[in-house]
Amino acid sequence: MKKEDTVKLISSEGMEFVIDKEAAMVSQTIRNMLTSPGGFAEAEHGVVTFPEINAVILEKICQYFYWSLQYSRGKETEFHIEPELTLELMMAANYLHT
Amino acid sequence: MSAQKKKAFQIEAFKHRVVVDPKYAEKTWKILEHAIHEIYNHNASGLSFEELYRNAYNMVLHKFGEKLYSGLVTTMTSHLKQISNSIEAAQGGLFLDELNRKWAEHNKAMQMIRDILMYMDRTYIPNTRKTPVHELGLNLWRDVVIHSYAIQSRLQAILLENVRRERSGEVIDRGLMRSITKMLMDLGPSVYQDDFEKHFLEVSADFYRLESQEFIESCDCGEYLKKAERRLNEEIERVSHYLDARSEVKITNVVEKEMIENHMHRLVQMENSGLVNMIADEKYEDLGRMYCLFRRVPNGLVLVRDVMTSYIRDTGKQLVTDPERLKYPVDFVQHLLDLKDKYDKIITSAFSNDKTFQNALNSSFEYFMNLNSRSPEFISLFVDDKLRKGLRGVTEEDVELVLDKVMMLFRYLQEKDIFEKYYKQHLAKRLLSGKTVSEDAERSLIVKLKTECGYQFTSKLEGMFTDMKTSQDTMQGFHASQDADIADGPMLSVQVLTTGSWPTQPITTCNLPAEILGICEKFRNYYLGTHTGRRLSWQTNMGTADLKATFGKGQKHELNVSTYQMCVLMLFNNADRLSYKEIEQATGIPASDLKRCLQSLACVKGKNVLRKEPMSKDIADTDTFLFNDKFTSKFFKVKIGTVAAQRESEPENQETRQRVEEDRKPQIEAAIVRIMKARRVLDHNNVVAEVTKQLQSRFLPNPVVIKKRIESLIEREFLERDKGLLAQELDNVLKLDFQLLNGEVSRQLLLLLSAGNREEYCEVVRNSIAVGFLGYRRSLVTAISGIGA
Repeated sequence: MKKEDTVKLISSEGMEFVIDKEAAMVSQTIRNMLTSPGGFAEAEHGVVTFPEINAVILEKICQYFYWSLQYSRGKETEFHIEPELTLELMMAANYLHT
Repeated sequence: MSAQKKKAFQIEAFKHRVVVDPKYAEKTWKILEHAIHEIYNHNASGLSFEELYRNAYNMVLHKFGEKLYSGLVTTMTSHLKQISNSIEAAQGGLFLDELNRKWAEHNKAMQMIRDILMYMDRTYIPNTRKTPVHELGLNLWRDVVIHSYAIQSRLQAILLENVRRERSGEVIDRGLMRSITKMLMDLGPSVYQDDFEKHFLEVSADFYRLESQEFIESCDCGEYLKKAERRLNEEIERVSHYLDARSEVKITNVVEKEMIENHMHRLVQMENSGLVNMIADEKYEDLGRMYCLFRRVPNGLVLVRDVMTSYIRDTGKQLVTDPERLKYPVDFVQHLLDLKDKYDKIITSAFSNDKTFQNALNSSFEYFMNLNSRSPEFISLFVDDKLRKGLRGVTEEDVELVLDKVMMLFRYLQEKDIFEKYYKQHLAKRLLSGKTVSEDAERSLIVKLKTECGYQFTSKLEGMFTDMKTSQDTMQGFHASQDADIADGPMLSVQVLTTGSWPTQPITTCNLPAEILGICEKFRNYYLGTHTGRRLSWQTNMGTADLKATFGKGQKHELNVSTYQMCVLMLFNNADRLSYKEIEQATGIPASDLKRCLQSLACVKGKNVLRKEPMSKDIADTDTFLFNDKFTSKFFKVKIGTVAAQRESEPENQETRQRVEEDRKPQIEAAIVRIMKARRVLDHNNVVAEVTKQLQSRFLPNPVVIKKRIESLIEREFLERDKGLLAQELDNVLKLDFQLLNGEVSRQLLLLLSAGNREEYCEVVRNSIAVGFLGYRRSLVTAISGIGA
């Protein structure tokens, strides 16, 4: 994957997830971050830190991004969510506007 | 899921910080405030979006949205105040520049702020129904910067100044203007309109008012129109470059009003260059321009059309009443055609074929053509001229063109039956003298007339053609049937004319020479042999003859003369000199005709086969004629004046007109009867209207004449006056009960009824009832009670 097409999402524990920009843009918040005209640090370095989201959740979120893209392209599968993750996942989703 | 898993299910505690710190909100806000400052100072690159976003998120989540929002408002306002000051400080030309730059920066900052405060925008604001961040930004900008006292008026002034400069021809920075106007539009359409557009339109109106005043004093119509057009285009271009598209209509209206509408009348009436002159000089470009410009203005075209119509009518009227012109009918008609062509061209090329103008033209032509009562005659003469010689050697399409144009003029005539009469006369002369250029052209014109006016109009004309053809066949038959020995005698060619189809001619006397008589008799016998029950009479005033003549020095010529002239010349076979009286007696030709034919034989230079003593131009009763031995001519065949169709002299004209009037009477009567048969009962005005409608394709009937005809029809008992319905009914009933009535009373009643005297009638009836005459018939009683009411 080319450097320009990816972003790095870092969880609270410091775990790094490298995903396509396209996938990341599923989240409105991340999209604004990266396209904001201000020249914020995130857009410059292609790195976003989430000190309040832990790795497990962040991983699930990344999976969700890809699933969402697949779904919109026509591949209608199910997205399985473990029940114990639901609450935190919801909070993160609210935060990320996804 | 297994039970094992279920046990492991735990709801973990929130990872988010619980608000222990009372100053939490204050701290968070400070971070954000700092960030906003940095953004406005273009220092945003060092900031972490996520951090700011998270902070805003938390504030809203912990119910500090209010603080966040109001904090935002305050911060932005203070920044904008700073900006406003810096703009104010800008000098002169840099003012707009500075404003524009700050606006762009503000926009950028707005977007960034909105992004980080997205969560608040999404949740808090809809809940509390406050203005969203973006809109808030615009409103604050508007209130603090644009509407700040110093800036507002200055901005307006500079913008308008720029426009004025551009109008005077200077070049201004259009891009800058565009950004500024766009900014105003973004702030809201009312801002654009109130702050700029309104004043722009006012100023423009003043400007153009002045300018148009200047122009109209100094320029003529064509130039003024050019200038007006230029300004109009300029404004349209200006709008497309740096104004809102919706302003286009408004500013064009202003220009149109000031430059065109206010001066409309003056432009059109302008001396030496106004509409009338343009038409006369055929200035198509100027006319086209006038049309386009005036079309934009209410009533503009109406004015143009009216002026044009009155001009056409006046010039037309002049033309048709000019006695000089009327001496030469062919030229007159040609002139009319040229005029029509000219106006058609103007309408197609300059007025883009506008139908209303076309209609105006048609009605004007109709108006003035019918002012001259001799128009139908002249048109027929024109056609005659064309078909005799004008169309010689012309291609078929061009022939059609000319005939179509003539038809156009024909349509304008109101008295088409007069045209028909003249046309018949002229056609007869053409056919009989064999002078028509092209039979196809003749037939084509007949077809056109038929399409225009119906079969009735042309049936007689077609009859004439048929007669000619039939005569040809008859002649062939005649010659075939004769013996060879008649080849020595004169050769006869006869056209047999059916009396109904051809124009009526008076039967004239003429003593044909013996040689001719013989062969005429033979023909008569032949013809009556094949067509019994018909009567033939020779029309000696319409024939021609070819004579072989030998003159003094032995030169032979063939003379083509009329029948009358032939009779005269044949006399000279037996005598060398004859007096007028002798000729008159011998030939039996009526005096006026004889004088005319002698004139063409003796007085025309180059064609004088006879010599006259004395050598005067007119024929007197005392003149003597001699055979002119010394006659010479370059040609072998000499044609001596056949009478071509002339424009009628006044008395002849009167006569023809009278005949036409006479012909019209039965036509009117026929129309009346037709209408009454269909309608049964109709009041006088309606009858007149219907009759006019039916006959208008031929001529315009005079209401007085119609009234006379109605009266005549009543006299002859084709029509009767209506007595009124009740009286009618009684009338019927009375007739039924006739036998019941006393003879005297009933007679009286009938008298009263026919006199239309209802009151007295009722009196008598009532008295009769009293006396018991009428019996107790129920129907009578009801009818009478009806009158009594």
